[in-house]
Amino acid sequence: MSNALNESKTESSSESTGVTTDVSTSTTTTGESDEQIRDEWSDFHFDGPAKLSVEDLNVHYGTDHALTDVSMEIPENSVTALIGPSGCGKSTYLRCLNRMNDRIKAARIEGSVELDGTEIYDANANLVELRKRVGMVFQQPNPFPKSIRDNISYGPRKHGDIDTGLLARLLGRDDTDEEIELVERSLRQAALWDEVSDRLDDNALGLSGGQQQRLCIARALATDPEVILMDEPASALDPIATSKIEDLVEELSEEYTVVIVTHNMQQAARISDQTAVFLTGGELVEYDDTEKIFENPESQRVEDYISGKFG
Amino acid sequence: MSRESYREELSALREAVVALSETVVDRLELALSSLATGDDEAARRVVDGDSEINDRYLELEGNCIDLFALQQPVAGDLRFVAASFKILTDLERIADLATNLAEYALDTPRSTVPDVDVQALGESVVEMVEMAINAYAEADAEACFAIDEYDDSVDQRCADASDAIVRDLIEREATATDSTIEDLLADVSRLLLTIRDLERVGDHAVNIAARTLYMVENDDELIY
Repeated sequence: MSNALNESKTESSSESTGVTTDVSTSTTTTGESDEQIRDEWSDFHFDGPAKLSVEDLNVHYGTDHALTDVSMEIPENSVTALIGPSGCGKSTYLRCLNRMNDRIKAARIEGSVELDGTEIYDANANLVELRKRVGMVFQQPNPFPKSIRDNISYGPRKHGDIDTGLLARLLGRDDTDEEIELVERSLRQAALWDEVSDRLDDNALGLSGGQQQRLCIARALATDPEVILMDEPASALDPIATSKIEDLVEELSEEYTVVIVTHNMQQAARISDQTAVFLTGGELVEYDDTEKIFENPESQRVEDYISGKFG
Repeated sequence: MSRESYREELSALREAVVALSETVVDRLELALSSLATGDDEAARRVVDGDSEINDRYLELEGNCIDLFALQQPVAGDLRFVAASFKILTDLERIADLATNLAEYALDTPRSTVPDVDVQALGESVVEMVEMAINAYAEADAEACFAIDEYDDSVDQRCADASDAIVRDLIEREATATDSTIEDLLADVSRLLLTIRDLERVGDHAVNIAARTLYMVENDDELIY
């Protein structure tokens, strides 16, 4: 510790002579290895149960090591932000949480991901069920080229939760009322209902980008998920649409577990309860309460990254 | 290193806060010497100069707000700007107290109480302010605790001085006539206010140290 103090003094005295413009004043971060830092924040505790528990997760794409020994627990009904520079593995990590990387042939995934204590990489795991419970929203809004109504009801129909049409009517299993209710509920939850309630049969591609993204969120909510993964959901949107998505994320966290990848650090600071910082090499460098990360991070590398001293 | 102009703005803020503190300490010393010598011209310079300090204070406070709004500092940078923002207020208050002291000097006549050394107390609180600003400029956490301890002894000396002044009043009151009692009371209250203001300068030095400790170590132990 005294060593760290000395280092900082040398640093600041050179500042006062104007040699460097670095005004970093933290002494708690200097002189400690990332290994020591990890010990500090691995004590990060939260109240309530972990929705997702990730242990020693490693991902290789061919010879490229995209994620290195990542372990973290994600608390239920909260917003967890994943930040870090491009190529740091945060999207890879996100996609591991509902096995989206399974679709990439070159990807080799090792380690464990538990959802409510059950291993999702178990050979017997039901992928359809998993992705129903762990929904996803992508960077570019990607509604189906169908009506607004059909975008919402597509998932529940596929899962067999809703049955409509002539055959269903003949068999006495017609769920038209349920469908109407589901469409309205999902659109309301995604704060889109008031804008589209009078044109549910219009093609979804006619909506603005911000509306399309909220439709995609409504679509993800329609299958009644428990976890919502968002990969830069607002990066293609203007500030007003962005603030609507941000409000929505905060609201959703009352009932859902939200994990969000963002390049916008202020967005992470605004909306998340805890923040995980990934740095180059697919390494989780620090994971803690968002206030802690943005006010007093343990790692100097994290401090440099969030202060924009990188590169 | 990216965000060059942002880094330069942070450095400039630190230098400007230190420069303002130097002006404030000059004024404090001038006020103290006008108390000792009765130099009305020096005292007037302190009183008239206060608006200049207020202007500079508002300007630097605006710079901090600009940094918050435009650069969104985080982590160590955030603590640095937030601490500077608070420290600026303390510097402005110290300048106000220097103005008070200069105003007491302009009031005549001056009284003295044998057991009370206003100048020695003044030197101590000036030293505290200088120590505090050094700690800020050098990001020196240990010095912050030393300033806090220093303040305990200054508080004690101020309490003792006030007691001595009141005791002296009681003794002199016995021999005072109706015509001198008014002057005596005015003298004594001025002296008591002088002691109180010096004690407050010390408190502001502790505030600066407290914010500096927060800035350096994210430790709010000295902030009450």
